[in-house]
Amino acid sequence: MAIIERPTETPDVTNRGTRPAPKASTNYGYLRRPVETTGWRSWAFTVDHKKIGIMYGAVAMFFFILGGLEAALIRLQLAGPNGTILSADKYNQMFTMHATTMVFLFVMPMAAAFANYFIPLQIGARDVAFPRLNALSLWVFVFGGVFLNTSWFLGGGADGGWFMYAPNSSVPFSPTNGVDFWGLGLQITGIASLVGAINLIVTVLNMRAPGMSMMKMPIFTWMAFVVQMLLLFAIPVITVALFLLMFQRSFGAQFFSVEAGADPLLWQHLFWIFGHPEVYILVLPSFGIISEVLPVFSKKPLFGYPFVVFSGAAIGFVGWGVWAHHMFASGLGPVSVAVFSVATMAIAVPTGVKIINWTLTLWGGKLTFTTAMLFAVGLIVQFTIGGLSGVTHAVAPSDTQQTDTYYIVAHFHYVIFGGAVLGLFSGFYYWWPKVFGKLLSESLGKWNFWLMIAGMNLTFGPMHIIGLQGQPRRMYRWTEFRAGQGFFNLGFWNLVATIGTFVLGVGILFFLVNIWVTHRPNSKTPPAPADPWDARSLEWITSSPPKEYNFARTPQVSALDEFFHRKYEDVGEGDKHEYVQKMTGEEVIQFEEDNADPNIHLPAPSYWPMVLALALPVMAYGVIYNTLLIVAGGAIATMAMFGWALEPADAEASDFDPPVEGDETSKELSNV
Amino acid sequence: MTYDLSMSHQSPTTKMQAVETTTTLKSVTSSRLVRTLVAGSFAALLAGCATDAPQDTWQPKGSNARMINDLDWVVFSIAGVVGVVVFSVLAFALWKYRDRGQPIPEQTHGKPALEIGLTILPALILVGIAIPTVGTIMDLAETNDTECIVNVTGQQWWWEIDYPVQDGCGGIEEPIVTSGQMVIEAGTKVLVRGTSRDVIHSWWIPSLNGKRDMVPGRIHTVRLEADEPGIFAGQCTEFCGLSHANMRMEVIAMNSTDFAIWKANQVQDYVAPVAGSLAAEGESTFISQCSRCHQVDGLTDSNDELIISRPDQNVWSGAAPNLTNFMTRNTFAGASWDLLSKECRPGVWDASPSTIGAAYLDGVTDSCLNEVELREWLRNAPAKKPMYTDPESLEATNGLVRGMPYLALSEDQIDQLVAYLLERK
Repeated sequence: MAIIERPTETPDVTNRGTRPAPKASTNYGYLRRPVETTGWRSWAFTVDHKKIGIMYGAVAMFFFILGGLEAALIRLQLAGPNGTILSADKYNQMFTMHATTMVFLFVMPMAAAFANYFIPLQIGARDVAFPRLNALSLWVFVFGGVFLNTSWFLGGGADGGWFMYAPNSSVPFSPTNGVDFWGLGLQITGIASLVGAINLIVTVLNMRAPGMSMMKMPIFTWMAFVVQMLLLFAIPVITVALFLLMFQRSFGAQFFSVEAGADPLLWQHLFWIFGHPEVYILVLPSFGIISEVLPVFSKKPLFGYPFVVFSGAAIGFVGWGVWAHHMFASGLGPVSVAVFSVATMAIAVPTGVKIINWTLTLWGGKLTFTTAMLFAVGLIVQFTIGGLSGVTHAVAPSDTQQTDTYYIVAHFHYVIFGGAVLGLFSGFYYWWPKVFGKLLSESLGKWNFWLMIAGMNLTFGPMHIIGLQGQPRRMYRWTEFRAGQGFFNLGFWNLVATIGTFVLGVGILFFLVNIWVTHRPNSKTPPAPADPWDARSLEWITSSPPKEYNFARTPQVSALDEFFHRKYEDVGEGDKHEYVQKMTGEEVIQFEEDNADPNIHLPAPSYWPMVLALALPVMAYGVIYNTLLIVAGGAIATMAMFGWALEPADAEASDFDPPVEGDETSKELSNV
Repeated sequence: MTYDLSMSHQSPTTKMQAVETTTTLKSVTSSRLVRTLVAGSFAALLAGCATDAPQDTWQPKGSNARMINDLDWVVFSIAGVVGVVVFSVLAFALWKYRDRGQPIPEQTHGKPALEIGLTILPALILVGIAIPTVGTIMDLAETNDTECIVNVTGQQWWWEIDYPVQDGCGGIEEPIVTSGQMVIEAGTKVLVRGTSRDVIHSWWIPSLNGKRDMVPGRIHTVRLEADEPGIFAGQCTEFCGLSHANMRMEVIAMNSTDFAIWKANQVQDYVAPVAGSLAAEGESTFISQCSRCHQVDGLTDSNDELIISRPDQNVWSGAAPNLTNFMTRNTFAGASWDLLSKECRPGVWDASPSTIGAAYLDGVTDSCLNEVELREWLRNAPAKKPMYTDPESLEATNGLVRGMPYLALSEDQIDQLVAYLLERK
């Protein structure tokens, strides 16, 4: 749903929504405009960044559960020696798809959900720069993810590990279509990321509210902006690699055929030049989230905001110079190894700066431990553990003992689960009332948090031991002969890790229960107050959930933490500070609405993004099964592009049925 | 939301508290006492590590692994100290500044001097780690002091090990080819040169050195040296397809006398089984069923011509393990199963450094053979170890198998083969 501006109209914001929705009468391109305001069409064809954000989140949550089930099967298989729950083949597919799902179909799109929803709100914009492209990103991601997972029903998933090293990914070594689905599916989701990145970069650079300089931009938007820049340069690299792989497997190319003179290390370099920035793509959004949450619940601005911004940007740059630390055992030669070893240590500095700044944000604050805050603090602790174990394998000689063992699995789960996922959960609890207008239950939230923390430490903590005791990764079974007998024996700690997985699973279940309890029919949860956390940034200067046009009046920004400074006044003198509340959050919002902008302009929905997105998996199936399908998909794509190009950004008055005549509706914003 | 706005007292403490952080951080990290304490408790924790996990990465048994381990101690101790400091400061802040009705704190955006200091501090710590790291990387890449060269070739899912003719290794006059178990002389600086015949594998003997990927089309090296005789377990650590979990290897170090005996034994002439014996029947079964892929040096066909296995015929990997001296090794099928029975295994694996060489050289005798698993293997290899041998799934590889296919051997043939193989020592 969107709202369009009629000629000669003055908006009557208060009256909006009480009238029946106008109906469409005119066709554009080959299809009529999808002007429905309710029902599934209002979601499927929307270009509203908030609805797109919610759908991104819902789909990502589905894939989170799917990836979690895959993880549970992996841990069940490894609970004891010589596990028999999965065959070797199925196990290899399971860990490949677990990683692929979690990285590409959960963390990245969930971060995209937050970025989509909150960047426009945090910078005081009404939508992103290219709303239809935004819808395209969403649907390309959804169809790409579904396409990737249809491999389960068409001969099995990919079985080469998420890193898909050549030449094990070539047809002779992986004869099923799993790797084809993987390579094509990730090319498709890559398009989603790339389109989204360009969209959000332009949005951030061009659509900030008056007065909001880059250094007054909320920190989440900053971190998400750095992530989009990383995506802009990282996604093309993996796309090139996947393109080579596609030609290798489907069209007889020999990029990775050793017998034809190929060097398998080519793939490794391409993959990790993408793969390492990818790590920051996964964690920086969450760093941004907790950099919002910690100040709010400390009643203090983020300590060293410029340092956090610049360290984020520094990570964005230095992150490109450390990829070969994934290849310390690959035989690069001592000079390369030494250079990348030192570069890797260097990137620990900006990361350390963030941890120090978060700690100093808490220092001297006035801390309230809501669930969002607990998750944020949990991130600091768990990520620090992952960071410290990270330093131990920045040391290349140590890494040659640790790499490809469970010690690495422990490390990156502390970094990605502890860093990225806990941050996302912090964001869920913090922004839930903003997005859905209701507060999630804090008591269920505490269960959610503590079970997740206990579960993750029980699951991933023992993996440090298992790894240092020499258990390699990616083994579908382990044997008692290599397990040892003492306190650190592999058998006991493998079992603990498996039990931990189920504790973790129950913790996550509490989140789903919390959603159900809050939103089920007849739920007793009251609507959330407009400013439940006494928040600090721009997205709270509007109703919850925000209206389609976000802000009744485009906010004027004069300070970082604009909302806080509108609510509180420093009446202290000189070095003394004393903060007096001059307005409540509700009053600030009311003031904005009382001074609404006379003209609000929003784009209209469109079918074309979804049609164009649909063409991609058609072409991908074509690559695997039948060239004619590529042609068919290409035809759909071409048609969709023309339809898209011919379609005006705004629906015209004649789109509405009946056309507005004379009465006062013509003076209102119309629902489209 | 209500705030206690009546308290006009303001918090000059903020600045003080921030200063406190610095002093806490500095005093703790610079305190030798605390460092020793933490390293000590770490050591106590790790003492519990001294168990029998054969791939324990923290129990170096040779100079190269010890270089890494020495570095590990420094890095883990520093990481431990940093962790304790960070978590202490964090825990203190969480406790001290919880909301007890204090006024809204100063809206400060930071203290640049403090932040620059706290940026430089971790940078300095990391420089301290970087220096010994670079030194160790260079030391571990040294190849000028090599005393013995052994080649390894990874393939799905086992290692071929061969000793080229050289003056090193105490002199090798005739190439030796074996698989799964590398025999070296204790105290000798061995340089492993490795490659692969199919996908990337990784050579890793944790107690002797870190791992090194063995990449098709490239030759990579890794140093190995064992302090004293013993069996050192390892495992392929680069994911290499279906049976990655079943691709193991061992290094057996022995003293120079035992090593000389082992070398001599490996190049002995072929001794055919006594005519009419079960083993002799086994020989013809072997020729008809196995010799297409498995080489036994010196084995001749009915025309008295040497049989050279032609693995390119139907095996993608290019070869199958050389079985000439099969029973001198004590594991099989990618070192995944014991050739020694449960009863006999400890006699070799748990032998002391002074006796292990002799025990290993005894090889696998009739009474010590792990007949159950060897027979299972011969009966249906892909059922025991997943391999790409299912005829229905081989279309993509033009029928080339990787691994040992199901051969539909009769029980009689298996009896014959076991008898024949028992003599391969």
